Amino acid sequence: MSEALVEEQAQAAETEDAERKIIGFFCRECAYAAADATGNARISLPPTIRSVLVPCTGRVSPLHLLKALADGADGVYLAGCLVGQCHYREGNLHAIDRVEFARALLQSVGVEPERVQMFTMSAADSPKFVAAARKMHETISNLPPLKRK
Amino acid sequence: MRCGVFLCECGGNISGVLDLDSLADVARGADGIVSVSRSQFMCGTEGRRLIEQAVEDRGLDRFVIGACSRRFQGPTFERIARELRLGENAVAFANLREGCSFVHRDEPEKAQSKAEKIVAAAIARAGFQSDLPRGRTFLHRSALIVGGGIAGVAAAEELAGAGIDVHLVEREQSLGGYMARLSKTFPTEDCAMCSLAPQLTGAALEPRTHIHTLTDVTEISGPPGEFRVKLRHRPRFVSEACVGCDDCTPVCPVSVSSEFDLGVAKRKAISRPFANAVPSLYAIDKRGASPCKSACPAGTSAQGYVALVAEGRFDEAYGVASAPNPFPSVCGRICTHPCESACARGDVDEPIAIAALKRFVADRVGPEIVVEKAPLVHSEKVAIVGAGPAGLTCARDLAKLGYQTTVFEALPVAGGMLKTGIPAYRLPKDVLGREIAAITALGVKVETGKRAGKDFSIDGLLADGYGAAFLAVGLQKSSEVEIAGAELEGTLRAVEFLRELNLGEKVTVGDRVVVIGGGDVALDAARSAIRLQKGSGREPDVTLAYRRTRAEMPALAEDVEQALEEGLKVEFLVAPLKIVGKKGHVSALELQRCELGEPDDSGRRRSVPIEGDFVEIAADNVVLAIGQEIVADFLEGCEGVEVERSQIQIDRETLMTGKAGVFAGGDAAATGGWTAIEAIAAGSRAARSIHNFLRGEQLLEIWPAKAAEARPSDEELAGQVVGQRVPAPLRNGAERRADWGEVVGTYSEEDAIAEANRCLNCAVCSECESCVKACPAGAIELDQTETIEELAVGAIIVTTGHKEFDARRKRPLGFGRFPNVVTQSQLARLLAPSGPTAGELKRPSDGSIPKKIFMLQCVGSRDCSSSGNEHCSAICCLFATLHASLIKQHDPDADVTIGYTDMRTPGKAHEEYYRLVQERGVRYVRSRSGEILEQPDGGLLVRFEDTVTGRKNEEVFDMVVLSAGLEASDGTTEIAHVAGLQQSSAGFIKEYHPKLRPVDTQRPGIFVAGTAQGPKSIPDTIAQAKAAAARVVSMLSAGYVLTPAQVASSDSEQCIGCGICVEVCPQGAAALTVGDSPHAVVDANSCRGCGICAAECPSGAMTLGGFSDEEILAEVMV
Repeated sequence: MSEALVEEQAQAAETEDAERKIIGFFCRECAYAAADATGNARISLPPTIRSVLVPCTGRVSPLHLLKALADGADGVYLAGCLVGQCHYREGNLHAIDRVEFARALLQSVGVEPERVQMFTMSAADSPKFVAAARKMHETISNLPPLKRK
Repeated sequence: MRCGVFLCECGGNISGVLDLDSLADVARGADGIVSVSRSQFMCGTEGRRLIEQAVEDRGLDRFVIGACSRRFQGPTFERIARELRLGENAVAFANLREGCSFVHRDEPEKAQSKAEKIVAAAIARAGFQSDLPRGRTFLHRSALIVGGGIAGVAAAEELAGAGIDVHLVEREQSLGGYMARLSKTFPTEDCAMCSLAPQLTGAALEPRTHIHTLTDVTEISGPPGEFRVKLRHRPRFVSEACVGCDDCTPVCPVSVSSEFDLGVAKRKAISRPFANAVPSLYAIDKRGASPCKSACPAGTSAQGYVALVAEGRFDEAYGVASAPNPFPSVCGRICTHPCESACARGDVDEPIAIAALKRFVADRVGPEIVVEKAPLVHSEKVAIVGAGPAGLTCARDLAKLGYQTTVFEALPVAGGMLKTGIPAYRLPKDVLGREIAAITALGVKVETGKRAGKDFSIDGLLADGYGAAFLAVGLQKSSEVEIAGAELEGTLRAVEFLRELNLGEKVTVGDRVVVIGGGDVALDAARSAIRLQKGSGREPDVTLAYRRTRAEMPALAEDVEQALEEGLKVEFLVAPLKIVGKKGHVSALELQRCELGEPDDSGRRRSVPIEGDFVEIAADNVVLAIGQEIVADFLEGCEGVEVERSQIQIDRETLMTGKAGVFAGGDAAATGGWTAIEAIAAGSRAARSIHNFLRGEQLLEIWPAKAAEARPSDEELAGQVVGQRVPAPLRNGAERRADWGEVVGTYSEEDAIAEANRCLNCAVCSECESCVKACPAGAIELDQTETIEELAVGAIIVTTGHKEFDARRKRPLGFGRFPNVVTQSQLARLLAPSGPTAGELKRPSDGSIPKKIFMLQCVGSRDCSSSGNEHCSAICCLFATLHASLIKQHDPDADVTIGYTDMRTPGKAHEEYYRLVQERGVRYVRSRSGEILEQPDGGLLVRFEDTVTGRKNEEVFDMVVLSAGLEASDGTTEIAHVAGLQQSSAGFIKEYHPKLRPVDTQRPGIFVAGTAQGPKSIPDTIAQAKAAAARVVSMLSAGYVLTPAQVASSDSEQCIGCGICVEVCPQGAAALTVGDSPHAVVDANSCRGCGICAAECPSGAMTLGGFSDEEILAEVMV
């Protein structure tokens, strides 16, 4: 099934009005909890967002960000703990650096850097989670689908 | 793979939005899927049965759960996977509820298509999930409890009862924590100590509970089950021999603010916080060496004798002042007093007049002391050459050690420079004579008129049966100055000039005298010349010529000031060029004008000549006071004793010269500066070194180790009232220059006590040793030091408690500025029968009984401003109600008003109690207070707004009590850092889950209870402590714990040994192996599974179990 889906996705990406795909890597300690709280409150989110649970945004390497874009996502973002409140001290700071790195790399090959973003929030901050998801959706919707060679 | 998919309806939460049958059909088509089923509640027993059956019937090796968020039921399904022997990583999760049905209810079609992708992603991920190895950690059946308040004591009781060894660590000197400070407790109004004391005693008597007071936890490492813990035991300075008789506190001269009484009372430096303290031992608060003691070359406990003077205990003060120094009266006059330069009070206003206080006690007590001959203990004799301060001190100390000592002195009198260098107006001869007599009374022989090199030789002394010799010959000659005209009649050398004068020889000076120099000797010569001129009926005309400015003068500032008062003229910034003569006699001094340039090596600014700018001063005498030299001809032929640059060469550690048994010190072999107190210190060191030499072993420390300097914090200094030093009597300059009488007088008793009371007690314990003398049990051990202990424990409970919000942060409320504004905790001490007022409420400012009292609630709580805390402190409504009730019962006429934000009284019987206290006549006003202003009589004007009527009010009260909120204690913050625990707002320890695991922390094996976790009442604290104990019991009862599954690991083949993982690991779990080809290894017990290392690893060797690159990317790519 997965191969079929990938194919379908690739076809869809060729049309301007196709449904976008956005991957969100959410930290287990904060953003994923905020996502759960958002769900429990039955707050609507854009269906473009697909969440991936990670123990810490510090687990996410530039490879993961770029692979996601290379293999079908139009945007990818990280949501981690507030700066200074990482449960593993500086994991979110590492993540911020890697996002910067990935954005610079994208820019150098002519891809819009805003396709990769980083957000921070506390576990209790569902509104901030929703805002991040909507902002990401809006940003990516305003960009054309990512063309791949 | 043989994978199953299990879809959960969640009672309609999922199936109401998603078409699960269609989803199941899509799933069935995926590769590797051998079974798909759905259930109303997958997390229930039916769900488990479905999985079990599929594993059995279809041979599943992994499965996908399409249900709620992994964060909710993840552990349930992981447990099922583990129990079905698939391993917990055999399950993958498709978040169909929070990730889909809940958030896309209004777009069911898009939700359905997204759900298909979510399930596909989970199936793809499952394909990469492999079993994760887990190790076992065996458990120590022991626990560490950090914090000895009621929470720690309650938890300890339960653990000991379950047969677990407990280490109960408390940073203060007694168990008891905050509860010990309370008078009574709400809502029962029973006495806090009556419930606490039996608990404390119980802990002390329980053999499984090991109590460590005055102890900090400095390190926690290792995995749960076998934590390795480092404890730092601070010295108590009182041994177990203490019987608690309290003979020590009345004699201790140092009083400081009592931490136990929260600042509303004082305590002594040796103290026990309360009668039922556990352990019952006293403790000494000794924070190191005071700055004055640290600065004194002789190590005199200046703080000690100052504290004793403040109490009017002059005899004992003399004992402390004279112990290291046989010349207290002398030093009280002429010492350069480095102690005063170091004095912390100098940062507030002026340093304590330490020298003047020493002089006061020494002048007052010294003459009364009857010295008895010291008994001879040893057969060796010691020869001392030179009867100055170094030689005489050495002789005294050796005599006290039981040696026969003989001091040989070239001059006809003893005293050295104290006698021949310092004029009588600074140091009267009888004062010096008395202190020398006290030395000879010990049995020290002084042979005057015996000059080394002429009457005896050093080698001869050793041959004559002296076991050792100490050379303390000083610098007896003025330095030769290369200046034209130095040979003219009328050119004088200061050292020789003063010596002749002080030995009573006839000395005259001309009408005009110029002294060259800026040190003490120059000033002594100049001021002596003024007195010689005045004494022979002439108007003084003495000029001091100094090459720099007054700021650079090495002489003591007060001496310069006094000399100016006596009419000394000074030419600054001049360098002598030549002495001009007429008929072979001095007629003038020619000087080169200078200016200040760059600083030299000593930090003083250099004097640089101004070209072509000269000045000539007419003079009959020019006195050269530019340095001194040794007269060393007596050492000719004395092999091994070398002199270089006017100093006898010695080994600094032992003061011994190159010749065995021959030692040297004082000005002739200085190890510090060339001052009297340095000479005295050198004499003492030499005596100790000679004793070691003669006994052939290291019996005494020659250079005793100096304790770290103790100084009040900048904040404490800033809080001091600025005043000034009590001046010593000083004779009028015009009057005193006509005679040789003493310039400065001695303090009166009253002035001395007033001056001594300015002392800040920097080190708290002043090392006066009064308690040592008073203790009948011999329990005082002032030389105790810090020790480190290492323990292994299975589990840890943090019960480090809270502290009161610092109400000074709310400046308009006047706390810390107005004495009658106190906090609720301070009021607890003022109401406690064991408190400073024995339970009678008195106003701090004047001790009067307050009739009208205002209690202000929510100080620093429920406060969103930057100076406060957002949280409700939970106990203050009842705490204030309790105290208001106690005041009303004690004094029914008292008018007590509680200004509250909202009354919050949840908790058993709390609302009933609140109503009862209202009936007792306590007034509750819903209000908000703006500011509090102090009235001249100490009363307090409170401005508040009645928030029911909206009316603004002003009312005067006798006393205001602030219900300051609760914050995490400093100990809580420290243990959070040491143990790596997370803190929530206001610093409280964050629990693992606020509802389900309220006493677990984020770190397995570490639990939290009491106010360290958040504000709460005593019953709640105890309940939580016992819950934490239960968690420890259940954990330790398992016998072993599994190491976590989700940990990092490194492939040694792939690893390039770069060490980046070691750098980024927040747990210190990653390390490089040693050897030729280092590679990374991860301690599975320490790893917490964040995966930062795996993301950083450049070679791809590092991976995180359960979150490998393949697992993550499988989800992303679908």
